[in-house]
Amino acid sequence: MDVILNQMFAGLSMASILLMIALGLAIIYGAMGVINLAHGEFVMLGAYAAWALQTYAGFSIIVALPFVFVAVGAVGWIIERVIVQRLYHRPLDTILATWGIGIILQQVVRLSVGAESRFVKGPELLSGNIEIGGLVMSNYRIFVIVFSLAVLAASWALMTRTEFGMKLRAVIQNRQISECYGIEAKHIYSVTFAYGAGLAGIAGALITPLFSTIPTMGTGLVVDAFLVVIVGGLGSLLGAASAAVLIGEATALFSMLFNDTLGRIAVLAGIIVLIRFRPRGLFPSNTRR
Amino acid sequence: MTTRLFYDLVALVIFALVIVLGVPALMGFDGFELNTFARYLALGIASLALALSWGGAGLLNLGQAATFGMGSYAMAMHLKLKASGDGLPDFMGWNNVPELPLIWVPFHSLGFTLLAGLLVPAFVGGLIAMFMFRARIAGVFVAIITLAFLVAFQLVVIEEQGITGGQNGLTGLAPLNVLGWSVDTYGVGFYYLVAGCLVTAITIGLYLTHSKFGLILRAIREDADRTRFLGYNVANYQTVIFCISAALAGWAGMLYTLVLEFASPTYMSVSFSLAIVIWCAVGGRDSVLAAAIGAILVNLLEGRLSDIFVEGWNLMLGVIFVFVVMFMPRGLNGLVGDAWRFIGGRLQKERTISTRPHLQPEPVKSGQEN
Amino acid sequence: MSQLQVNDLHVDFGGLRAVDGLSFSVAEGEILCLLGPNGAGKSTTLDLICGKTQPTGGSIRFEGTEISQLLEFRRARLGIGRKFQVPSVYKELTVAENLSVARSRRPGILHALTRFALSDGHAAAPILERIGLEAKANELAGNLSHGETQWLEIAMLIAQDSRLILMDEPTAGMTIEETGRTAEIFRSLSESHTLIVVEHDMSFVRTVADRIVVMNRGSMLAEGTIEEIETNEDVKTAYLGH
Repeated sequence: MDVILNQMFAGLSMASILLMIALGLAIIYGAMGVINLAHGEFVMLGAYAAWALQTYAGFSIIVALPFVFVAVGAVGWIIERVIVQRLYHRPLDTILATWGIGIILQQVVRLSVGAESRFVKGPELLSGNIEIGGLVMSNYRIFVIVFSLAVLAASWALMTRTEFGMKLRAVIQNRQISECYGIEAKHIYSVTFAYGAGLAGIAGALITPLFSTIPTMGTGLVVDAFLVVIVGGLGSLLGAASAAVLIGEATALFSMLFNDTLGRIAVLAGIIVLIRFRPRGLFPSNTRR
Repeated sequence: MTTRLFYDLVALVIFALVIVLGVPALMGFDGFELNTFARYLALGIASLALALSWGGAGLLNLGQAATFGMGSYAMAMHLKLKASGDGLPDFMGWNNVPELPLIWVPFHSLGFTLLAGLLVPAFVGGLIAMFMFRARIAGVFVAIITLAFLVAFQLVVIEEQGITGGQNGLTGLAPLNVLGWSVDTYGVGFYYLVAGCLVTAITIGLYLTHSKFGLILRAIREDADRTRFLGYNVANYQTVIFCISAALAGWAGMLYTLVLEFASPTYMSVSFSLAIVIWCAVGGRDSVLAAAIGAILVNLLEGRLSDIFVEGWNLMLGVIFVFVVMFMPRGLNGLVGDAWRFIGGRLQKERTISTRPHLQPEPVKSGQEN
Repeated sequence: MSQLQVNDLHVDFGGLRAVDGLSFSVAEGEILCLLGPNGAGKSTTLDLICGKTQPTGGSIRFEGTEISQLLEFRRARLGIGRKFQVPSVYKELTVAENLSVARSRRPGILHALTRFALSDGHAAAPILERIGLEAKANELAGNLSHGETQWLEIAMLIAQDSRLILMDEPTAGMTIEETGRTAEIFRSLSESHTLIVVEHDMSFVRTVADRIVVMNRGSMLAEGTIEEIETNEDVKTAYLGH
């Protein structure tokens, strides 16, 4: 029983990380239909930014978060302006371009910081565990879970309760008409892309105590995050959240039943089947195409 | 014969002459150099296989490396058995595999191996294609499903150590023996074998692009629904091109194993699949010949430059790729075509001094909107 | 004996009954015009016949075969062609290639694999001549003018040679002259083809229609010749609002 509970907690912890990564991706995908394969590298940049802030400025991860958000968001903004913006009418090519950007970011970090893995200390405040019966939960992982829910809530509020969110939804619905009403779609897209990148950066900073920080760390994460977005349904934030929990728990469950590799294979296979039969995800938004 | 077919045939003949006569002479018939070049030629087949589905039908298959790997492992299994004589392949002993797994047994036969290297990838590619295209999966979803398949497939290969050699792959292979000819991979004969395969593959590809089949695939690429209303079974067309493309990738994989004398799970990695996409994009996804040349050029460049910039090569490759995707969506092929038309236009202008302003045709948008 | 019989056809879009108990039939060689105010379900009716939309109930019989559950390409092979409201030629293919794709009497893969792309070019020549595009056979369709694109689409319908042709506003955006020429082509098409045409241009309808079906809110309001329809009180009410 304890094994199962602990495994479920591990799954939840995994889900919260996936959610953080997937949120940015879901927002970018939902808003502009761009499959951003450089997203994993935004996560990696966030991790390195947290590492740099801790090593050279002595910032704790939590203090570093706003700086990381702004820094990675700025990188995302520049990339959107210079590259992605020119490819909106060629969705298949955005996959390729963002893939190439991913390679470039990875190599730049590898050449400038080095390929060896870097370690970041978790915050002192959150060291230690909470134990309930046989269930052992690390304080830091609990913090990440709560934080990811907070980011989800904030993103949801941004999309539905602010003027920016209203404009963004207008642009998603119909770009031409929105532009006729004076909404600058280009500008909205850039900010949205930057916001998504910033979220990825925060996710990267938060996972530094849990994963080793290496230039290639994003590659594995982005595949999973993608699956979360697609399973969740295009552009649906709550869908992404449910899908993150589903995939996190499924991975944890299969890993316990078989082993890590088979667990991953089973989840990948499940997802392929899911896309086949529900190409718009489990929780599609209810608009007529 | 249409003019386009004529130009393509001329280009093919020139290309064949260059790689059959020019390259070996340039390399002074040096075995090592020719072996390296044969490797590029084998990769050219993988690249043109992708051009058939991606350029020809708008189906971006990011799992091309999986079918490439199947061919490569088929060949490696045969050569491993030859190297092991009557005993078990060495790695099986290390993994406590008591006897030869059933799946290995038929690979004693070269004929079976060659067939399997083509048909297994075609079969698997066909299954995935039917699975996707019957449900009318299109565009980016094809890319994501094939990518997920590739990741899962590589995990399986690495996981099943006892059968596949796991992370190490299959090494210590015997040389290929065809009807008594023991193939020396550093010999001129082997180079001609690979060159012959590439020219044959390009010819097949050219035929497909110029057939009515290729025309209908281009129609499907632009507007699948419209093509359905004309009575074409779109899913079947897409499935068949996926099978052919997978078989060609398997063929390339077999040759690749021969050149390198081992098979490794890295052939089925996401980054190798991306590499194939890059070659194809650089050469030009619309043309099988251009895609093959793209593979040869990029690898040639990599071979020359990665000695000088060991560290920076991948960075450069990334930059080249982004540049090509953004500004040269039709690759080098598009550049050559534009240059050709520019020169042609100049000549025509000189001949007929027209009083009307010359109307520029609208740029053709690539059919990626679906 | 009618060629197409639509019986008690229904379709729901999330609670909205776009077509609601529609029944009508078309005889071979007839030109039937579908009229009705916006949202009456005319285009949806064409979608249902060609298979773009699946009906929630009712039957569609074409030459004796029940087709309402068949996939689009099967219906096309039985002899049903469709022209959409938005001109939908293949812009990346040349005019000749467009016609070659449209000539789909043998749509099998084996047949396509054993032919060169334009091997049936000789069959396209008279069609191109008829619509006046013979000089542009090797031009990309994307470079044609709006009017030429419309002609190419009609040429593709001729090449496809379906026994039943469904057209959605074929004269939209045409000049009066072009509309006249289209009407001529339609009349000559109806010698060997059946046509169902959705059209707003009443003068065009007057020229070509053998019979008219007026739809309102998804079902049939009136049916008859042009004179009968023009004097029908129900139709006036539906168009003008009570």
